Amino acid sequence: MVLVLVVGDIHIPYRASGLSPKFKKLLVPGKIQHILCTGNLCTRDSFDYLKTLASDVHVVRGDFDDNASYPEQKVVTVGQFRIGMCHGHQVCPWGDTESLAMLQRQLNVDILLFGHTHKFEAYEHDNHFYINPGSITGAFSPISSDVVPSFVLMDIQASTVVTYVYQLQGNDVKVERIEYQKA
Amino acid sequence: MAEKNVENTEEQERLLDEALQVVKMESFHMKRELDKNKLMDGLKHASDLLKELRTSALTPKNYYELYMAVCDELRHLQSHLSDEFQKGRVVSDLYELVQYAGNIIPRLYLLVTVGVVYIKNKPEAREAILKDLVEMCRGVQHPLRGLFLRNYLLQCTKNVLPDHAIDESEKQEGPPALQHSIDFILLNFAEMNKLWVRMQHLGHSREREKRERERQELRILVGTNLVRLSQLEGVDVNSYRKIVLNGVLEQVVNCKDAIAQEYLMECIIQVFPDEFHLQTLRSFLKACADMHPRVNVKNTIIALIDRLAQFAAREEDSGIPSEIMLFDIFSEQIANIIDTRSGMLLEDVVSLQTALVKLAFKCYPNRVDYVDRVLEATMDLFGKRNMDSVPNGSALSSELYNLLEVPIKSYNNILTVLQLQCFAPLYEHLDYESRKRIGVQMLVNALEHHTLLPSAEQVNSLLMLVSPLIQDQADQPTDIDMDDFSEEQGLIGQFIHQLYSEEPDQQYQILNKARTHFEKGGNKRMIFTLPAIVFSAYKLAVRYKELSDEDERWEKKCNRIFEMCRAVINTLCQAEIAELPLRLFIQGALCASELQFENHESVAYEFISQAFSLYEEDITDSRAQLAAVMLLISAVERCRCFSEDSHAPLRTQCAHAASRLLKKPDQSRAVAHVAHLFWSGQITEGDGEPMHDMRRVLECLKKAIRIASQCMESAVQLQLYVEILNKYMYFYEHGCTGVTMELLNQLIKKIREELQDIEGNEESSMIKVHFENALEHIRNHQQSGDGQYSYEGITL
Repeated sequence: MVLVLVVGDIHIPYRASGLSPKFKKLLVPGKIQHILCTGNLCTRDSFDYLKTLASDVHVVRGDFDDNASYPEQKVVTVGQFRIGMCHGHQVCPWGDTESLAMLQRQLNVDILLFGHTHKFEAYEHDNHFYINPGSITGAFSPISSDVVPSFVLMDIQASTVVTYVYQLQGNDVKVERIEYQKA
Repeated sequence: MAEKNVENTEEQERLLDEALQVVKMESFHMKRELDKNKLMDGLKHASDLLKELRTSALTPKNYYELYMAVCDELRHLQSHLSDEFQKGRVVSDLYELVQYAGNIIPRLYLLVTVGVVYIKNKPEAREAILKDLVEMCRGVQHPLRGLFLRNYLLQCTKNVLPDHAIDESEKQEGPPALQHSIDFILLNFAEMNKLWVRMQHLGHSREREKRERERQELRILVGTNLVRLSQLEGVDVNSYRKIVLNGVLEQVVNCKDAIAQEYLMECIIQVFPDEFHLQTLRSFLKACADMHPRVNVKNTIIALIDRLAQFAAREEDSGIPSEIMLFDIFSEQIANIIDTRSGMLLEDVVSLQTALVKLAFKCYPNRVDYVDRVLEATMDLFGKRNMDSVPNGSALSSELYNLLEVPIKSYNNILTVLQLQCFAPLYEHLDYESRKRIGVQMLVNALEHHTLLPSAEQVNSLLMLVSPLIQDQADQPTDIDMDDFSEEQGLIGQFIHQLYSEEPDQQYQILNKARTHFEKGGNKRMIFTLPAIVFSAYKLAVRYKELSDEDERWEKKCNRIFEMCRAVINTLCQAEIAELPLRLFIQGALCASELQFENHESVAYEFISQAFSLYEEDITDSRAQLAAVMLLISAVERCRCFSEDSHAPLRTQCAHAASRLLKKPDQSRAVAHVAHLFWSGQITEGDGEPMHDMRRVLECLKKAIRIASQCMESAVQLQLYVEILNKYMYFYEHGCTGVTMELLNQLIKKIREELQDIEGNEESSMIKVHFENALEHIRNHQQSGDGQYSYEGITL
């Protein structure tokens, strides 16, 4: 069993003051093997924070990331899965399923992670799996109203991914489980 | 007996060993004689083993070890004597008899031993014997030997001192028995203290340090007297105040010795109960003022305050009795102490004030005015001593820092800290680094405790207070660690989100006030702070939209917000950056577009065109240019607020910018990107329908292919072809009928041909996979056979 944290659109300090203490309590060092970040960390501090949770951190560049060393896209292999990452502001229209599918074909991945819209999504499309972890800080976005803070944990075992999405609704953390089987 | 005590450890061990041997041997003989009932012979040996205590050669530590061994043996003698007396031996004889022992040390130890047994058997003689013993011990004036002898006296009399108030069964003349016990211990204490103090003046002056160390080792012997006093159960608050404390303080003050005073005052605090201290604060604190100048009384007073504060916290229900004006007494007495002791260092004064603030908070958590009074008193003292600015790294700087930290950490609410009138003026005395650290503390505290600043006035006071974090200061150092700086400015950015009022009009005032502070931050700081202001303002605009039913002026207010944001972003442009302001403009345009207030189209247009200006004038790096063009295209595609009159120039501008990019691959990609703008982009005249301008979509894609064909590198060219093939497929599947099977077949054929010629490497195999994935996608559509978009006529 491998645990992968998928997180993005953190936007500290531009749009948010920090992570909810409820999320911080859930995210403890030593449990997560890999962190895949879909971008918009904005400052070095957020990267350093992720590093405290797991040493293996992969980041792609968001439109508010100043750090030019983050790539626009990246492919990471975990177990039997090829996982593609892209912030998603480069795709037009933003969050469009078919446009993201073009990226999936280009990167040749089983799972495509993206962000930018600050809305959690997880769905299967043409036998491939797409996940948008949303914004972990619930950061403001002009293109989404009522942003709910969220992140995703993927539990990868052989050819199965069990996805847990954590959403902060009011003061409660709601967890949902979605399973994806590789064809 | 003229031997000096020897420092050499080996020599010390040898001496101690020899002495212990003698004690062991003499004690063996003593026990044998006692067993044979030869009491006189037994006492003779006891006297011989006691002679070992006459030595001056041992260090206090080793003397103590020897003393313990001797005491062990004397206990044996004690119990034997007790048995003897039970059997009817005449005690008084023996008490007389031991006085003939040849040497004073053995004589007095034996006298104490016998005397105590005597008292146990004849309680009526107690008073006279105790008085006799405590007086006789004066015969030993050597400090070390005297201290241990008197300690022996104290230990042995432990169980024979009456400690109840007044025993009715014991009707005697004169003062009650308890008074005798107190007098006895007080006298012994006074004598021991004199011996202890006198130690300081023995021997050579160059050995002062060694003597002080030895005195510290022996202090507990003197302190034991106070412990014994505290164990007398009959002592109540009244007798403590009238007899015990007075007696002890008199001795402490009069001995005029710093080591003794420091230790004994601390002892008093620790051994007597809190209830007693509360009733005797004034006398105790007055004595503090009279201490030797070398005594650092602040330690004593802080120890007392800490103890009482703990008491108050522990006894939460009863607390400090209300009739005791604890805070008033302390502040008045501390002021008196500071006044009398003019030599007291300012840092010690401040640390006293810190203890007072802690006391005020712990005992009277609601009395913010108490804390303010201490700060005011401190400020006055700074004035009196002409202390304007505290040097960095000095003890005073760290004490003042500690003082100011207390209210922050105690209240855990920076709004309460802001209520303190004297906090800011006192804070101004601090050096730059410490001011900054206090500022950071306040912000971190607000973030940790989720304190919101709900009014423009409070925001203004706070931002003035933490100005070392917000703008350049006259006294700041020239070299700044950039990592620390970024971390600190990031913190301020986070903090900006705590500037929040439920009241939207107030929130506008807050942001407008805050920006005037942050705009003075200079180029390096604005990058962190102004974006947070801008996003807070966008959020506020969304709030006004949600309140549109309740506030008829909401549209005007939104307009005002965007005006402010435009000004703030333009200020940010002065920091010689373009990418961040460009993105803020784009975000503003998207936000305005969604909100649909009266003027939203012009605002969105203005913001997009400002972003274009930045792109044209200030972004020079080709990678940054591509990123900016792609963002602009996507943003215009996304905005739903433009009429044809506004949209046309914007999309033309996008197409123009895309085709003017420097690098061919960038051009090709950007031009292909524009196709989306012509397809799913919307104008207000379209009533929610997308533009679906097929002609322009095809133009863009064909142009993208043409540009791709001009690329020198065949792998890059191929990669672009495959990307454009996917774009064709996208538009075909979205109903763009201009994408014919002929067009697709041509492109597929071209890619196949090129692929045959390409060199096999990692890059080309990735392109092949990409191409295969596209063909696979087509194949799936053909096979699913739902008729629409089934790619009929594609040769795979």
